Amino acid sequence: MSLRIYAIAYLIFLYAPIILLPIFAFNDATIIAFPLSGFTTEWFGELMTTKALHGAVQNSIFIAVITASLSTILGICAARAGAMYNFPLKRGILGLVMLPLVLPEIIVAVSLLIVVVQILDLGLSNWTVIAAHVLICTPFCIAILNGAFQNLDPSMEEAAMDLGESRWSAFRLVTFPLVMPGIISSFLIAFTISLDEFIIAFFLTGANPTMPVYIWGLLRFPSSLPIVMALGTILVALSIILLTIAEILRRRGMARVGVKDKGGFL
Amino acid sequence: MTDLISLTNVNKYYGDYHALRNIDLTIKTGEFFSLLGPSGCGKTTLLRTIAGFEGVSEGVVMIGGKNMAGVPANMRPTNMVFQSYAIFPHLTVAENVAFGLRKNKQMDKLQKSEAVDQALEMVGLKGFGDRQAHALSGGQRQRVALARALILKPKVLLLDEPLSALDKKMREQMQVELMRLQRHVGITFILVTHDQEEALVMSDRIAVMFDGEIGQMDDPETLYRRPNSRRVAEFIGKMNFLDADVKSVSDQITVDVAGLGTCTVNAEQAPSGIDTGKAAVGIRPETLAILFDGEKTERETIAGVVDEVVYYGDMTYYDVRIAGVDNTLNIAMKNLIGRPVLDVGAQTTVVWDARSLVLLP
Amino acid sequence: MVSPPLVYALLLLAFPLGAIVLFSFWTQNFMDVDTTFTLNNYREIIEKPIYFALLQRSLFVSGTVTFVTVLLAFPVAYFVSFHVRPDRKSLWLFLITIPFWTSYLIRVFLWKVILGYNGVVNTGLLNIGLIDEPLTFILYNVNAVIITLAHAFAPFAILPIFVALEKIDRSLLEASQDLGESKFTTFFRVTLPLSMPGLVAAVLIVFIPTIGDYVTPELMGGAGGKLIANMIQTQFLALNNAPLGAALAIVAMLCVTAISLLFVFLNRRYLRGRS
Repeated sequence: MSLRIYAIAYLIFLYAPIILLPIFAFNDATIIAFPLSGFTTEWFGELMTTKALHGAVQNSIFIAVITASLSTILGICAARAGAMYNFPLKRGILGLVMLPLVLPEIIVAVSLLIVVVQILDLGLSNWTVIAAHVLICTPFCIAILNGAFQNLDPSMEEAAMDLGESRWSAFRLVTFPLVMPGIISSFLIAFTISLDEFIIAFFLTGANPTMPVYIWGLLRFPSSLPIVMALGTILVALSIILLTIAEILRRRGMARVGVKDKGGFL
Repeated sequence: MTDLISLTNVNKYYGDYHALRNIDLTIKTGEFFSLLGPSGCGKTTLLRTIAGFEGVSEGVVMIGGKNMAGVPANMRPTNMVFQSYAIFPHLTVAENVAFGLRKNKQMDKLQKSEAVDQALEMVGLKGFGDRQAHALSGGQRQRVALARALILKPKVLLLDEPLSALDKKMREQMQVELMRLQRHVGITFILVTHDQEEALVMSDRIAVMFDGEIGQMDDPETLYRRPNSRRVAEFIGKMNFLDADVKSVSDQITVDVAGLGTCTVNAEQAPSGIDTGKAAVGIRPETLAILFDGEKTERETIAGVVDEVVYYGDMTYYDVRIAGVDNTLNIAMKNLIGRPVLDVGAQTTVVWDARSLVLLP
Repeated sequence: MVSPPLVYALLLLAFPLGAIVLFSFWTQNFMDVDTTFTLNNYREIIEKPIYFALLQRSLFVSGTVTFVTVLLAFPVAYFVSFHVRPDRKSLWLFLITIPFWTSYLIRVFLWKVILGYNGVVNTGLLNIGLIDEPLTFILYNVNAVIITLAHAFAPFAILPIFVALEKIDRSLLEASQDLGESKFTTFFRVTLPLSMPGLVAAVLIVFIPTIGDYVTPELMGGAGGKLIANMIQTQFLALNNAPLGAALAIVAMLCVTAISLLFVFLNRRYLRGRS
């Protein structure tokens, strides 16, 4: 019982900052502190008229969509290979691909910065951010897709081939529908990570900032903080919606192949 | 019956590992053929080379007079029931059964659904078509897998340990159903199993495999009564082994058996080409008997002491020690009316018969 | 099948990591890079006390964050694994992971609001009457950095521990009690050793990445709370001394890796010593 109280207290600790977001987003004061002064939707209105923000959001969505697509494709390759085939150095190769999961992000950022700017002598752009984001999102995609692929009975595809389907149509008719929920879930998670990522984007972003980089700029000006709160409220709501969809799909995928859900993305 | 499948000198290597060694076998149309052996003996590999999931390193696989080299699984006239059944969990039962009909252009939609209904009825799943596949029990999955394969009217149905996931009662019931089904459709069945009882019950012929080789290939009765090697005899049923010394070989064979003395057996009780010298003799537990008080026999007898008693209800198994033999003899006795169950240490008389001996090299 | 992700990882991970090592032996003067091999960057790091102080503080912060995070996370993972109904487990995990995925920057900033002079904690405590004037030791120093990081990495610690606990065969615990251990001693003789792999994973997955975070110290640390990651960032972006930044990054990585390996080694010894 005391454990349950502790766990609930812990959840409150986890959610404390997020709960404050909407409170200050609707607070009628430019200073982000208590006591509250009154209710307003002014800050949300201001979001609509800030041109620079719109550019940053567009940039971020572009980066997130491309990142999510590429890292999901790479994730499918790795998860399928990991679940179905044995090959030399399997552990080592998968370990290297999963490494960004524990690597400090600043290391990823500065090493790519050096390669792009100093060695290849290219300019920074959205594509440099995408390259790095794919690198850090792929391990998460693999983790999610592993769940989908490892629960797959390898004789399932063989059965389809035995019943007259070619290798490709066996994949299309059997494996693909079974792992589809996992694929969408992986896409949404990668999208969320990329949309939110700041540490790497700050180093690698080109002339057009991503949304987190733009927010970082705003944090220096006290007058723009309420706008940040409003923006944050929208982002949190959006990520919760996306994550909920991802989770529902992941569970539906598990149910579809008839596996008991053991819970969790990782 | 004509030869449907023939394998000639088939070898399979995985790197250094020699998985199949010089396999030669022919299977006739309509035959119920079993591949029996301990796990890792290559029986599943052999089945998969026939199905087309594995290529052969050497040798020829012919099905229906056609060489199968380079023919992929989806182009072969074989269908398979997988060990895990591999029922597609995202489809309904009917969709599973109809899976292989997708590319069939001769049948229209109505004919296909009739065929599905027929197939389901044949396996005892009438009315199950709309169920979701992942909600089925083990026995039901097995039936769906059978219907799904048989609806395509293959020349050969391959079954990879199809009963191993079922409990004992269900397994025995499915054994009978499979035999009935096979007689009904008249298709050649090739069954892979590690369960010797299952193979004996169901098969017309059995190939016993060890270490990638076929040890013996015969009908169940010959296999049980006349095993050609010690490992086949050990794998199928129980067998007592006694040291023996072959004295002379002609139409009849004279052999000196440890503990039993010199006796004469027919040539068919020994593998062909047996020579004088050291050999072994095998005796099945049910061909030995204990002579209870008041019973008479005209067969040979020898004195013994009961070493262990295992009571099974309908049967009692005795381990009996006889003079001149290190091992005890295992004897199976039916618990008929009036027969007592002996105690450990009881003095007793063992009845044996030279006709039930099997000479082994 | 594995080649596309492998090629990607080699091109964008292994190759750049090699490049950063190479770079750390070069020098830079404004925009011009001098590619003669030199140990000057490393010499500067050793000779100037500021770098050593930053590194020491960074390792202290990462270590403390790891300790606090894992210590606080273990009971939660234990609770979810052992005391939550099986069909509710994924809901709990979902609730735990959600804050982790949402707007990192804003989350860090909000801790400033919570811990600040007019923040939630201070106004709350003032209203209750526990304090007479706002507390100042909880913002713009190392404490604030530790609290914020411990919050940010919490799910990272919970998940591996949870997975390890889930794998424990429940009949082992019954066997232990059957053999005479109490519930309490069973925890220390069975549950804890068996959950070690998850605990080690949690430690590594928190300790290693926290060394590379420069957002939290920048926003929460004030003047005295800056860490090595801030210095790396400054060298690269403000001072245009990428080679020195590269050398700092490598030194930081080496320290973290060495400590991690030592930890894993000690843990193995500890587990082997028991059995």
